[in-house]
Amino acid sequence: MIKRVEINYRGIFQKTLAKRIGGDIVMIAARMGQVGFSNGRYSDAPERNGIPCKYFAFVSPDLSEEELEAECGAKLDIDEANISVVLDDTMVKGVEPWAWHGVRPINEKVVPYGYLLIVSRRRPEELVRFMARKPYPYYLAILEGEASFAGLWVYRDDLTHERVLGALAALDPQLLSIEAVKGYLWDKTHEEHRVQAAQKAYESVRHNVHEVTPLQGIDWPYEIPKLPKWHEFPEGVVVKAVPREFHLGPKGQSRNQLFKRGTTKSQRPVVRFDLCTKCTLCWLECPDQCFDPTPDGTYDVDYEYCVGCGKCAEVCPVQECIVMVDELAFEDNRSPWEHWKRDPEGYVRWAEEKKGTHRVLPNVVTGTGQRVVEVEPVPAGGKPKPAARAGA
Amino acid sequence: MAVAQPVGVYEREDLLTGCQAVAEGIRLANVDVIAAYPIRPYTEVMDAISKIIADGKLVAEYIVADSEHSQFEIVKHAASVGARAFAGSSGTGWMYGFEALVVTATDRLPVLFLVGNRALDDPGAFGVEHNDALAIRDMGWLLCWVATAQEALEHVLLGYRIAEDREVRMPMALAMDGAFLTHSQHIVRIPSQEAVNRFLPPFDLGERRLHPDNPVSIAPQVNEDWVMEIRRQNWEAARRARGVIATAYEEFNQVFGQRYRPPYSFEEFLTDDAEVVLIGMGTVAMPARTAVRRLREQGHRVGYVNLRWFRPFPTEELRESLRRFRAVGVIDRDFAHGAPDDGGVLLHEVRSCLYPVRERPAVVNFITGLGGRDVSIQDAIRMYEITQEAARKDRLDGFVTWVGVRE
Ligand code: SF4
Ligand code: SF4
Repeated sequence: MIKRVEINYRGIFQKTLAKRIGGDIVMIAARMGQVGFSNGRYSDAPERNGIPCKYFAFVSPDLSEEELEAECGAKLDIDEANISVVLDDTMVKGVEPWAWHGVRPINEKVVPYGYLLIVSRRRPEELVRFMARKPYPYYLAILEGEASFAGLWVYRDDLTHERVLGALAALDPQLLSIEAVKGYLWDKTHEEHRVQAAQKAYESVRHNVHEVTPLQGIDWPYEIPKLPKWHEFPEGVVVKAVPREFHLGPKGQSRNQLFKRGTTKSQRPVVRFDLCTKCTLCWLECPDQCFDPTPDGTYDVDYEYCVGCGKCAEVCPVQECIVMVDELAFEDNRSPWEHWKRDPEGYVRWAEEKKGTHRVLPNVVTGTGQRVVEVEPVPAGGKPKPAARAGA
Repeated sequence: MAVAQPVGVYEREDLLTGCQAVAEGIRLANVDVIAAYPIRPYTEVMDAISKIIADGKLVAEYIVADSEHSQFEIVKHAASVGARAFAGSSGTGWMYGFEALVVTATDRLPVLFLVGNRALDDPGAFGVEHNDALAIRDMGWLLCWVATAQEALEHVLLGYRIAEDREVRMPMALAMDGAFLTHSQHIVRIPSQEAVNRFLPPFDLGERRLHPDNPVSIAPQVNEDWVMEIRRQNWEAARRARGVIATAYEEFNQVFGQRYRPPYSFEEFLTDDAEVVLIGMGTVAMPARTAVRRLREQGHRVGYVNLRWFRPFPTEELRESLRRFRAVGVIDRDFAHGAPDDGGVLLHEVRSCLYPVRERPAVVNFITGLGGRDVSIQDAIRMYEITQEAARKDRLDGFVTWVGVRE
């Protein structure tokens, strides 16, 4: 028997976290007399900030390591997962990696009555409504918590790692027993709070498992790309350029239709067009050229292409004009500028509701944690004010 | 493969990628000089070594070069003064340093290089393909493939033992499949320093060592007068290497238990009563072995041969082994466009090795897994079926099949 665990993570930000979880699954399973190994989906590298990536762990109670490896070792991706872990809940909207996979459902690999374990503060129905319908039932398990983001060179030691191990023990005690998880963490660190974090997650996840029926979820809107045969594309690795075109207004610039990369974002910029001073900075600075110039001099956002980097919000000189908001607050990728044109007051109300009243300021010094401040919404017809800068 | 292990020869078990396993081997071999320049998938080796040095577990010169060419020149020179040296690369980076690589062999300097096999891009491609390491095959090098992280660590030790032997003194390329081995985490048994010291003697370049107390000049101008004799010497060393390889594995087994079985240069899997075998190098062994198990359940007499040492090629042993079968399917994770019959590199080696045998098995060829494309169990079963068909029909026409290409 082979147990396959898939760990979906956001490229760079959660790379070390996913690798440690995968590796520790193998080490803990070994304490229980099982064999295992772990690897990442190689085609995900070189990772780009936030892009959906995968790590895997393979465990077997009865096969030899050689047999386990022979079955699972020389493959780029898996066909099925007994448990799919999701380290950032915004990935329920779909995962589109670098390589030519298209936008895939987050639950794609989960087997009948397998588990999708998501780190989230949301209720199950708030997550299932974005996910693909599956032809068979499976379980959604929720590990209460925020997505743990760090970066390539820093590791955020916020116990997500230990908590995921505890949660896995709750879902499949044959894969990892909670005793083995705790014993391993203690032997490795001699730190009681790590053991406790795993134990608490183990207890809480057991009460947060929900069956998802074949009736729940959506019809998946994305197609899986079909790759050409060897004789169907030009010789010499020549790729036709995207035809150049430009007009003012939404989607007025030509963009690559084959790789939209929008599932890279965990946040998106909400723009208050009424506060915009038309300074052009967002349009100039967006690394992915997501801003479309419009006839009135403001800039529309093409959310299908936005990767959520936050650069636009950082450079916008106007207070409250561009604010990054959790991606799961949005149902679609429609043009915000068209919405504003159609119904200026309704749009402002909508935008303020999405933005809420709390803003997370970026870290001033790494390791000092986030600063959250409360803000007053700027009413429709309010005047643009210079943006307050982080650290000020 | 692994059988008995005497107590005390292993220090601990740890979870390591293939790259990290190589780095542990470098630590245990107490390497003196490491030259580094990044290219995936080799990069993780240099990362892991730098961490080992930073953690105070190895004292070594760690030099970050400005290119692969400089990187390889640095270790070549380091070896000439008697330092145990290490470098590595992948794909086009390896090719960029080629001028330095070929002269390292002529100068007979036993440096160990790790080649994390990677496609030769353009286009941007990172997956495994064997053409990078194979390019060194005619240059007087030792060239060996490993298929697991444990073997990777052990072959760093074996590699230095063989390359530095007085009878050999040749540079050694240790090749491992990008991604499937370099980046896969496995539990690896890490030998104790004491056990390694029993197996691996210190590097001694003897009378050839460049040192103020031993004034010598290496590689002066020779024009047309000496080259032929130099090549003849190199050939002799490559021939002697075959014997040294066997001795080294025997010594290794004495210290670490029966880790490896003769003939060492390759490894057979369920071949005893086999009629048909596939032969390949590296991690393609994984799907091939699973295919063997499944086909045997259905009564097919098939086996697998994992070729480890490509240079020197184990001519005699492999000839004696393969002649027992009715058909041999050669798996090439490489290409040799325009070569005889348009087969891959390994095909020509195996076929030429079998040529002196009067009753030869039928030999067919598979080009597969290029650029990191995975070779599935189903692909391997198909290769067995084609090879079985060749055995029945003794058919040699159209014998190269591309497996896994979209067509
Ligand atoms: S967050 Fe802003 S700058 Fe970044 S990709 Fe999206 S629109 Fe562009
Ligand atoms: S940066 Fe802000 S103010 Fe400047 S054009 Fe963009 S939205 Fe308007």
